[in-house]
Amino acid sequence: MSTTDIHHADQFRHEALFYANEDQFLGGTVPFIRGGVRAGEPVLVVESAAKIGMLRAALGHDAGAVLFADMAGVGANPARIIPAWQDFVNHHQGATRLRGIGEPIWKERTPDELIECQRHESLLNVAFGRGRPWSLLCPYDTETLDAAVIDEARRSHEFVTDGSQAQSSDLFRGLDASGAPFDVPLPERGTALARIRFGAPDLAAVRNLVANQAEAAGLGAMRAAELAIAVNEIATNSIHHGGGRGILTIWLEPSAVICEIGDHGHFDRALVDRERPGKSVAAPRGLWLANQLCDLVQIRSLRDGTVVRLHKRRGTPQGVN
Amino acid sequence: MYADSHLVVTRTHEPAGLCFAGEIDSSNARAVADFLSNGLAGTDDIHLDMSGLSFCDVSGIRSLIEVAESREQGRLLLHGLPNLLQEVLIATGWANLPHLVVVS
Repeated sequence: MSTTDIHHADQFRHEALFYANEDQFLGGTVPFIRGGVRAGEPVLVVESAAKIGMLRAALGHDAGAVLFADMAGVGANPARIIPAWQDFVNHHQGATRLRGIGEPIWKERTPDELIECQRHESLLNVAFGRGRPWSLLCPYDTETLDAAVIDEARRSHEFVTDGSQAQSSDLFRGLDASGAPFDVPLPERGTALARIRFGAPDLAAVRNLVANQAEAAGLGAMRAAELAIAVNEIATNSIHHGGGRGILTIWLEPSAVICEIGDHGHFDRALVDRERPGKSVAAPRGLWLANQLCDLVQIRSLRDGTVVRLHKRRGTPQGVN
Repeated sequence: MYADSHLVVTRTHEPAGLCFAGEIDSSNARAVADFLSNGLAGTDDIHLDMSGLSFCDVSGIRSLIEVAESREQGRLLLHGLPNLLQEVLIATGWANLPHLVVVS
Protein backbone atom coordinates (compact mmCIF):
# COMPACT_ATOMS: atom_id res chain seq x y z
CA MET A 1 0.00 0.00 0.00
CA SER A 2 1.16 3.52 -0.69
CA THR A 3 -0.46 4.82 2.42
CA THR A 4 2.17 4.95 5.13
CA ASP A 5 2.87 8.58 4.32
CA ILE A 6 -0.34 9.67 5.99
CA HIS A 7 0.04 7.40 8.94
CA HIS A 8 2.22 7.22 12.00
CA ALA A 9 3.82 3.81 11.80
CA ASP A 10 3.78 3.34 15.56
CA GLN A 11 -0.01 3.27 15.90
CA PHE A 12 -2.95 0.99 15.25
CA ARG A 13 -4.29 1.65 11.78
CA HIS A 14 -7.95 0.85 11.11
CA GLU A 15 -8.86 1.20 7.45
CA ALA A 16 -11.99 0.46 5.43
CA LEU A 17 -11.55 -0.80 1.88
CA PHE A 18 -14.53 -0.12 -0.39
CA TYR A 19 -14.77 -2.50 -3.33
CA ALA A 20 -17.41 -3.01 -5.98
CA ASN A 21 -16.12 -6.16 -7.63
CA GLU A 22 -13.62 -8.98 -7.34
CA ASP A 23 -10.85 -7.05 -9.09
CA GLN A 24 -11.14 -4.15 -6.67
CA PHE A 25 -11.26 -6.55 -3.72
CA LEU A 26 -8.09 -8.33 -4.81
CA GLY A 27 -6.48 -5.05 -5.88
CA GLY A 28 -6.91 -3.69 -2.35
CA THR A 29 -6.14 -6.80 -0.33
CA VAL A 30 -3.42 -8.71 -2.20
CA PRO A 31 -0.75 -5.94 -2.14
CA PHE A 32 -1.56 -5.31 1.55
CA ILE A 33 -1.11 -9.02 2.39
CA ARG A 34 1.96 -9.40 0.20
CA GLY A 35 3.57 -6.30 1.72
CA GLY A 36 3.16 -7.86 5.15
CA VAL A 37 4.48 -11.25 4.10
CA ARG A 38 7.54 -9.77 2.42
CA ALA A 39 8.26 -7.58 5.48
CA GLY A 40 8.10 -10.66 7.68
CA GLU A 41 4.99 -9.43 9.48
CA PRO A 42 2.43 -11.92 10.81
CA VAL A 43 -0.73 -11.67 8.67
CA LEU A 44 -4.18 -12.99 9.61
CA VAL A 45 -7.08 -12.89 7.14
CA VAL A 46 -10.60 -13.46 8.53
CA GLU A 47 -12.89 -13.76 5.53
CA SER A 48 -15.59 -15.97 4.02
CA ALA A 49 -14.47 -19.36 2.73
CA ALA A 50 -15.09 -18.14 -0.83
CA LYS A 51 -12.89 -15.07 -0.41
CA ILE A 52 -10.17 -17.11 1.30
CA GLY A 53 -10.13 -19.38 -1.74
CA MET A 54 -9.93 -16.35 -4.02
CA LEU A 55 -7.05 -14.87 -2.02
CA ARG A 56 -5.10 -18.12 -1.87
CA ALA A 57 -5.27 -18.40 -5.63
CA ALA A 58 -4.19 -14.80 -6.15
CA LEU A 59 -1.39 -14.96 -3.59
CA GLY A 60 0.11 -18.17 -4.91
CA HIS A 61 3.29 -19.04 -3.02
CA ASP A 62 2.85 -16.14 -0.55
CA ALA A 63 -0.39 -17.70 0.78
CA GLY A 64 1.72 -20.20 2.71
CA ALA A 65 2.90 -17.44 5.07
CA VAL A 66 -0.62 -16.15 5.78
CA LEU A 67 -2.99 -17.27 8.54
CA PHE A 68 -6.60 -17.66 7.39
CA ALA A 69 -9.75 -17.98 9.49
CA ASP A 70 -13.37 -18.32 8.40
CA MET A 71 -15.43 -15.28 9.38
CA ALA A 72 -18.55 -17.50 9.40
CA GLY A 73 -17.11 -19.22 12.46
CA VAL A 74 -15.11 -16.45 14.13
CA GLY A 75 -17.66 -13.71 13.55
CA ALA A 76 -21.02 -15.49 13.68
CA ASN A 77 -21.40 -13.53 16.90
CA PRO A 78 -19.49 -10.32 16.11
CA ALA A 79 -18.54 -9.87 19.78
CA ARG A 80 -16.15 -12.81 19.37
CA ILE A 81 -14.06 -11.05 16.71
CA ILE A 82 -12.15 -8.62 18.95
CA PRO A 83 -10.95 -11.45 21.24
CA ALA A 84 -9.72 -13.29 18.12
CA TRP A 85 -7.70 -10.25 17.03
CA GLN A 86 -6.48 -9.86 20.60
CA ASP A 87 -5.25 -13.46 20.54
CA PHE A 88 -3.49 -12.83 17.23
CA VAL A 89 -1.72 -9.74 18.56
CA ASN A 90 -0.82 -11.39 21.87
CA HIS A 91 0.44 -14.52 20.16
CA HIS A 92 3.02 -12.51 18.21
CA GLN A 93 4.59 -10.57 21.04
CA GLY A 94 7.92 -10.34 19.24
CA ALA A 95 6.56 -8.82 16.03
CA THR A 96 6.99 -5.07 15.70
CA ARG A 97 4.11 -4.85 13.21
CA LEU A 98 1.23 -7.11 12.21
CA ARG A 99 -1.46 -7.02 9.55
CA GLY A 100 -5.03 -8.22 9.49
CA ILE A 101 -7.96 -8.30 7.10
CA GLY A 102 -11.46 -8.70 8.50
CA GLU A 103 -14.81 -8.43 6.71
CA PRO A 104 -17.51 -8.72 9.38
CA ILE A 105 -20.38 -7.21 7.36
CA TRP A 106 -22.09 -8.87 4.42
CA LYS A 107 -25.53 -8.36 2.95
CA GLU A 108 -27.19 -11.37 4.61
CA ARG A 109 -26.48 -10.06 8.10
CA THR A 110 -29.81 -9.54 9.93
CA PRO A 111 -30.63 -5.99 11.07
CA ASP A 112 -29.69 -6.91 14.66
CA GLU A 113 -26.42 -8.48 13.56
CA LEU A 114 -25.63 -5.45 11.41
CA ILE A 115 -26.07 -3.08 14.36
CA GLU A 116 -23.72 -5.18 16.46
CA CYS A 117 -21.20 -5.53 13.62
CA GLN A 118 -21.14 -1.75 13.29
CA ARG A 119 -20.67 -1.47 17.03
CA HIS A 120 -17.85 -4.02 16.76
CA GLU A 121 -16.11 -1.97 14.07
CA SER A 122 -16.22 1.08 16.32
CA LEU A 123 -15.06 -0.88 19.38
CA LEU A 124 -11.97 -2.07 17.50
CA ASN A 125 -10.69 1.50 17.94
CA VAL A 126 -11.26 1.27 21.69
CA ALA A 127 -9.65 -2.16 21.92
CA PHE A 128 -6.52 -1.40 19.89
CA GLY A 129 -6.33 2.36 19.33
CA ARG A 130 -3.90 2.97 22.16
CA GLY A 131 -2.02 -0.32 21.91
CA ARG A 132 0.62 -1.88 19.70
CA PRO A 133 1.10 -0.80 16.09
CA TRP A 134 -0.69 -3.00 13.60
CA SER A 135 -2.87 -2.53 10.55
CA LEU A 136 -6.39 -3.86 10.12
CA LEU A 137 -8.04 -3.57 6.71
CA CYS A 138 -11.82 -4.07 6.57
CA PRO A 139 -13.31 -4.71 3.12
CA TYR A 140 -16.85 -3.42 2.40
CA ASP A 141 -18.80 -4.56 -0.64
CA THR A 142 -20.32 -1.34 -2.02
CA GLU A 143 -22.33 -3.27 -4.61
CA THR A 144 -24.44 -5.17 -2.11
CA LEU A 145 -24.38 -3.06 1.08
CA ASP A 146 -26.63 -0.05 1.70
CA ALA A 147 -25.16 3.42 1.40
CA ALA A 148 -25.89 3.94 5.11
CA VAL A 149 -23.62 1.00 5.94
CA ILE A 150 -20.81 2.55 3.89
CA ASP A 151 -21.38 5.89 5.63
CA GLU A 152 -21.09 4.25 9.04
CA ALA A 153 -17.83 2.60 7.93
CA ARG A 154 -16.50 6.11 7.27
CA ARG A 155 -17.32 6.97 10.89
CA SER A 156 -15.84 3.82 12.44
CA HIS A 157 -12.58 3.79 10.44
CA GLU A 158 -9.83 6.39 10.64
CA PHE A 159 -8.81 5.67 7.06
CA VAL A 160 -10.73 4.68 3.96
CA THR A 161 -9.63 3.44 0.57
CA ASP A 162 -12.23 4.21 -2.09
CA GLY A 163 -10.64 3.55 -5.43
CA SER A 164 -6.91 3.30 -5.22
CA GLN A 165 -5.73 5.83 -2.66
CA ALA A 166 -6.13 5.61 1.11
CA GLN A 167 -7.26 8.79 2.83
CA SER A 168 -8.06 9.94 6.31
CA SER A 169 -11.81 9.68 6.83
CA ASP A 170 -13.33 13.10 7.49
CA LEU A 171 -16.24 11.40 9.23
CA PHE A 172 -14.16 9.27 11.65
CA ARG A 173 -15.72 9.69 15.09
CA GLY A 174 -12.39 9.41 16.90
CA LEU A 175 -11.10 7.15 19.63
CA ASP A 176 -12.99 8.67 22.53
CA ALA A 177 -16.39 8.52 20.84
CA SER A 178 -15.82 5.01 19.52
CA GLY A 179 -17.01 3.42 22.76
CA ALA A 180 -20.14 5.51 22.87
CA PRO A 181 -22.75 3.67 20.79
CA PHE A 182 -23.67 1.97 24.02
CA ASP A 183 -26.60 4.28 24.61
CA VAL A 184 -28.60 4.06 21.39
CA PRO A 185 -31.80 2.21 22.32
CA LEU A 186 -32.45 -1.17 20.76
CA PRO A 187 -35.29 -1.48 18.25
CA GLU A 188 -38.79 -2.24 19.52
CA ARG A 189 -39.90 -5.82 19.01
CA GLY A 190 -43.33 -7.35 18.53
CA THR A 191 -45.59 -8.97 21.09
CA ALA A 192 -43.65 -10.81 23.77
CA LEU A 193 -44.13 -14.51 24.38
CA ALA A 194 -43.56 -14.02 28.11
CA ARG A 195 -42.58 -11.26 30.50
CA ILE A 196 -41.79 -11.83 34.19
CA ARG A 197 -40.29 -9.84 37.03
CA PHE A 198 -37.63 -11.72 38.95
CA GLY A 199 -35.64 -11.38 42.14
CA ALA A 200 -33.11 -13.50 43.99
CA PRO A 201 -35.52 -16.38 44.80
CA ASP A 202 -36.60 -16.72 41.16
CA LEU A 203 -33.44 -17.75 39.31
CA ALA A 204 -34.46 -21.38 38.95
CA ALA A 205 -37.86 -20.31 37.62
CA VAL A 206 -36.16 -17.96 35.14
CA ARG A 207 -33.96 -20.79 33.86
CA ASN A 208 -36.86 -23.19 33.56
CA LEU A 209 -39.03 -20.69 31.70
CA VAL A 210 -36.27 -19.93 29.19
CA ALA A 211 -35.31 -23.56 28.66
CA ASN A 212 -38.91 -24.69 28.24
CA GLN A 213 -39.87 -21.90 25.82
CA ALA A 214 -36.68 -22.34 23.79
CA GLU A 215 -37.15 -26.06 23.55
CA ALA A 216 -40.79 -25.62 22.56
CA ALA A 217 -39.54 -23.28 19.82
CA GLY A 218 -37.47 -26.12 18.42
CA LEU A 219 -34.03 -25.11 19.62
CA GLY A 220 -33.13 -28.58 20.86
CA ALA A 221 -32.29 -29.43 24.46
CA MET A 222 -28.61 -28.47 24.26
CA ARG A 223 -29.08 -25.06 22.63
CA ALA A 224 -32.06 -24.31 24.87
CA ALA A 225 -29.91 -25.10 27.91
CA GLU A 226 -27.12 -22.86 26.59
CA LEU A 227 -29.57 -19.98 26.31
CA ALA A 228 -30.85 -20.67 29.84
CA ILE A 229 -27.28 -20.61 31.20
CA ALA A 230 -26.61 -17.26 29.53
CA VAL A 231 -29.89 -15.75 30.76
CA ASN A 232 -29.15 -17.04 34.26
CA GLU A 233 -25.78 -15.23 34.30
CA ILE A 234 -27.26 -11.93 33.16
CA ALA A 235 -30.16 -12.25 35.62
CA THR A 236 -27.63 -13.01 38.36
CA ASN A 237 -25.87 -9.75 37.46
CA SER A 238 -29.23 -7.97 37.89
CA ILE A 239 -29.63 -9.44 41.35
CA HIS A 240 -26.11 -8.64 42.53
CA HIS A 241 -25.24 -5.47 40.61
CA GLY A 242 -28.44 -4.21 38.99
CA GLY A 243 -30.68 -3.27 41.88
CA GLY A 244 -31.58 -6.72 43.15
CA ARG A 245 -34.17 -7.57 40.53
CA GLY A 246 -35.03 -7.31 36.88
CA ILE A 247 -37.51 -8.07 34.13
CA LEU A 248 -37.13 -10.94 31.69
CA THR A 249 -38.88 -10.69 28.33
CA ILE A 250 -38.91 -13.50 25.78
CA TRP A 251 -39.74 -13.02 22.09
CA LEU A 252 -40.19 -15.81 19.62
CA GLU A 253 -39.24 -14.61 16.14
CA PRO A 254 -39.07 -16.65 12.94
CA SER A 255 -35.27 -16.70 13.00
CA ALA A 256 -34.44 -16.62 16.71
CA VAL A 257 -35.51 -16.88 20.32
CA ILE A 258 -34.67 -13.58 22.01
CA CYS A 259 -34.43 -13.04 25.77
CA GLU A 260 -34.05 -9.56 27.23
CA ILE A 261 -33.02 -8.86 30.81
CA GLY A 262 -33.66 -5.31 32.01
CA ASP A 263 -32.50 -3.90 35.35
CA HIS A 264 -31.30 -0.71 37.05
CA GLY A 265 -27.59 -1.44 36.70
CA HIS A 266 -25.15 0.38 34.50
CA PHE A 267 -22.24 -0.74 32.33
CA ASP A 268 -19.63 1.90 31.61
CA ARG A 269 -16.81 -0.13 30.05
CA ALA A 270 -17.39 -0.44 26.33
CA LEU A 271 -15.48 -3.71 26.05
CA VAL A 272 -17.10 -5.25 29.13
CA ASP A 273 -18.49 -8.28 27.27
CA ARG A 274 -15.53 -9.05 24.99
CA GLU A 275 -12.45 -8.93 27.15
CA ARG A 276 -11.15 -12.43 27.79
CA PRO A 277 -11.62 -13.13 31.53
CA GLY A 278 -8.54 -12.52 33.64
CA LYS A 279 -6.67 -15.27 35.46
CA SER A 280 -8.19 -14.30 38.80
CA VAL A 281 -10.92 -16.70 39.87
CA ALA A 282 -12.95 -13.73 41.06
CA ALA A 283 -12.87 -11.98 37.64
CA PRO A 284 -16.35 -11.58 36.09
CA ARG A 285 -17.28 -14.11 33.44
CA GLY A 286 -21.05 -13.88 32.96
CA LEU A 287 -21.15 -11.53 29.95
CA TRP A 288 -18.18 -13.27 28.36
CA LEU A 289 -19.92 -16.62 28.74
CA ALA A 290 -23.13 -15.23 27.26
CA ASN A 291 -21.21 -14.22 24.13
CA GLN A 292 -19.74 -17.72 23.84
CA LEU A 293 -23.12 -19.43 24.24
CA CYS A 294 -25.36 -17.08 22.23
CA ASP A 295 -25.46 -16.06 18.58
CA LEU A 296 -25.83 -12.38 19.41
CA VAL A 297 -25.67 -10.34 22.61
CA GLN A 298 -26.88 -6.74 22.60
CA ILE A 299 -26.05 -4.55 25.59
CA ARG A 300 -27.34 -1.02 26.09
CA SER A 301 -26.88 1.11 29.18
CA LEU A 302 -29.40 3.93 29.16
CA ARG A 303 -30.21 6.60 31.73
CA ASP A 304 -32.86 4.48 33.42
CA GLY A 305 -30.97 1.19 33.43
CA THR A 306 -29.41 -1.54 31.36
CA VAL A 307 -30.88 -4.03 28.91
CA VAL A 308 -29.15 -7.13 27.62
CA ARG A 309 -30.72 -8.99 24.70
CA LEU A 310 -29.58 -12.55 24.03
CA HIS A 311 -30.33 -14.13 20.65
CA LYS A 312 -30.27 -17.84 19.92
CA ARG A 313 -30.96 -18.74 16.31
CA ARG A 314 -33.60 -21.27 15.34
CA GLY A 315 -32.60 -23.68 12.61
CA THR A 316 -29.18 -23.94 11.06
CA PRO A 317 -26.61 -21.15 11.42
CA GLN A 318 -26.58 -18.60 8.66
CA GLY A 319 -23.61 -18.79 6.32
CA VAL A 320 -21.27 -16.13 4.99
CA ASN A 321 -21.39 -15.46 1.30
CA MET B 1 -24.49 -34.28 54.37
CA TYR B 2 -25.69 -31.14 52.66
CA ALA B 3 -29.14 -30.27 51.43
CA ASP B 4 -31.03 -27.16 50.39
CA SER B 5 -34.06 -26.65 48.18
CA HIS B 6 -31.97 -27.04 44.98
CA LEU B 7 -29.13 -29.38 45.87
CA VAL B 8 -28.36 -32.56 47.81
CA VAL B 9 -24.79 -33.71 48.47
CA THR B 10 -24.16 -37.19 49.85
CA ARG B 11 -21.00 -39.07 50.78
CA THR B 12 -19.68 -41.84 48.54
CA HIS B 13 -17.31 -44.61 49.60
CA GLU B 14 -15.94 -46.26 46.46
CA PRO B 15 -14.19 -44.02 45.58
CA ALA B 16 -14.24 -41.88 48.71
CA GLY B 17 -15.89 -38.60 47.90
CA LEU B 18 -19.14 -36.76 47.39
CA CYS B 19 -22.12 -37.11 45.08
CA PHE B 20 -23.95 -33.97 43.85
CA ALA B 21 -27.58 -33.98 42.76
CA GLY B 22 -29.45 -30.84 41.76
CA GLU B 23 -28.46 -27.29 40.94
CA ILE B 24 -25.86 -24.76 42.10
CA ASP B 25 -26.42 -21.07 41.40
CA SER B 26 -25.73 -17.80 43.19
CA SER B 27 -28.40 -18.62 45.78
CA ASN B 28 -26.43 -21.56 47.22
CA ALA B 29 -22.89 -21.30 45.83
CA ARG B 30 -21.57 -19.67 49.00
CA ALA B 31 -23.19 -22.28 51.26
CA VAL B 32 -21.82 -25.10 49.09
CA ALA B 33 -18.31 -23.60 49.27
CA ASP B 34 -18.54 -23.30 53.06
CA PHE B 35 -19.76 -26.87 53.35
CA LEU B 36 -16.96 -28.19 51.14
CA SER B 37 -14.25 -26.17 52.90
CA ASN B 38 -15.29 -27.60 56.23
CA GLY B 39 -15.90 -31.11 55.02
CA LEU B 40 -12.87 -31.75 52.81
CA ALA B 41 -10.08 -32.17 55.34
CA GLY B 42 -7.01 -34.21 54.53
CA THR B 43 -4.59 -34.16 51.64
CA ASP B 44 -5.92 -36.90 49.37
CA ASP B 45 -7.56 -36.37 46.02
CA ILE B 46 -11.31 -36.14 46.48
CA HIS B 47 -13.72 -37.62 43.96
CA LEU B 48 -16.89 -35.69 43.18
CA ASP B 49 -19.65 -37.47 41.30
CA MET B 50 -21.20 -34.64 39.24
CA SER B 51 -23.42 -36.76 37.00
CA GLY B 52 -26.52 -35.59 38.86
CA LEU B 53 -25.61 -31.92 38.75
CA SER B 54 -28.20 -30.60 36.34
CA PHE B 55 -27.09 -26.97 36.54
CA CYS B 56 -24.07 -25.04 37.80
CA ASP B 57 -23.55 -21.34 37.12
CA VAL B 58 -20.32 -19.34 37.08
CA SER B 59 -20.54 -18.62 40.81
CA GLY B 60 -20.90 -22.34 41.50
CA ILE B 61 -17.84 -23.23 39.43
CA ARG B 62 -15.99 -20.39 41.13
CA SER B 63 -16.84 -21.90 44.53
CA LEU B 64 -15.49 -25.31 43.49
CA ILE B 65 -12.27 -23.73 42.23
CA GLU B 66 -11.80 -21.67 45.39
CA VAL B 67 -12.25 -24.76 47.54
CA ALA B 68 -9.87 -26.76 45.34
CA GLU B 69 -7.22 -24.07 45.43
CA SER B 70 -7.50 -23.55 49.19
CA ARG B 71 -6.53 -27.14 49.94
CA GLU B 72 -2.87 -27.57 50.79
CA GLN B 73 -2.62 -30.78 48.83
CA GLY B 74 -4.87 -33.07 46.84
CA ARG B 75 -7.13 -32.24 43.93
CA LEU B 76 -10.85 -32.21 43.32
CA LEU B 77 -11.62 -34.78 40.61
CA LEU B 78 -14.95 -34.22 38.82
CA HIS B 79 -16.52 -37.43 37.51
CA GLY B 80 -19.44 -37.55 35.10
CA LEU B 81 -19.61 -33.80 34.60
CA PRO B 82 -22.46 -33.20 32.09
CA ASN B 83 -21.29 -32.12 28.62
CA LEU B 84 -22.88 -28.71 28.90
CA LEU B 85 -20.96 -27.94 32.09
CA GLN B 86 -17.74 -29.10 30.44
CA GLU B 87 -18.52 -26.67 27.63
CA VAL B 88 -19.00 -23.89 30.19
CA LEU B 89 -15.65 -24.69 31.84
CA ILE B 90 -13.91 -24.38 28.46
CA ALA B 91 -15.76 -21.18 27.49
CA THR B 92 -14.91 -19.48 30.77
CA GLY B 93 -11.22 -20.34 30.50
CA TRP B 94 -11.47 -22.73 33.43
CA ALA B 95 -10.56 -25.96 31.68
CA ASN B 96 -7.18 -27.49 32.56
CA LEU B 97 -6.90 -26.17 36.10
CA PRO B 98 -4.28 -27.92 38.25
CA HIS B 99 -6.50 -28.41 41.31
CA LEU B 100 -9.87 -29.04 39.64
CA VAL B 101 -9.69 -31.87 37.16
CA VAL B 102 -12.44 -33.14 34.85
CA VAL B 103 -12.22 -36.92 34.63
CA SER B 104 -13.64 -38.20 31.37
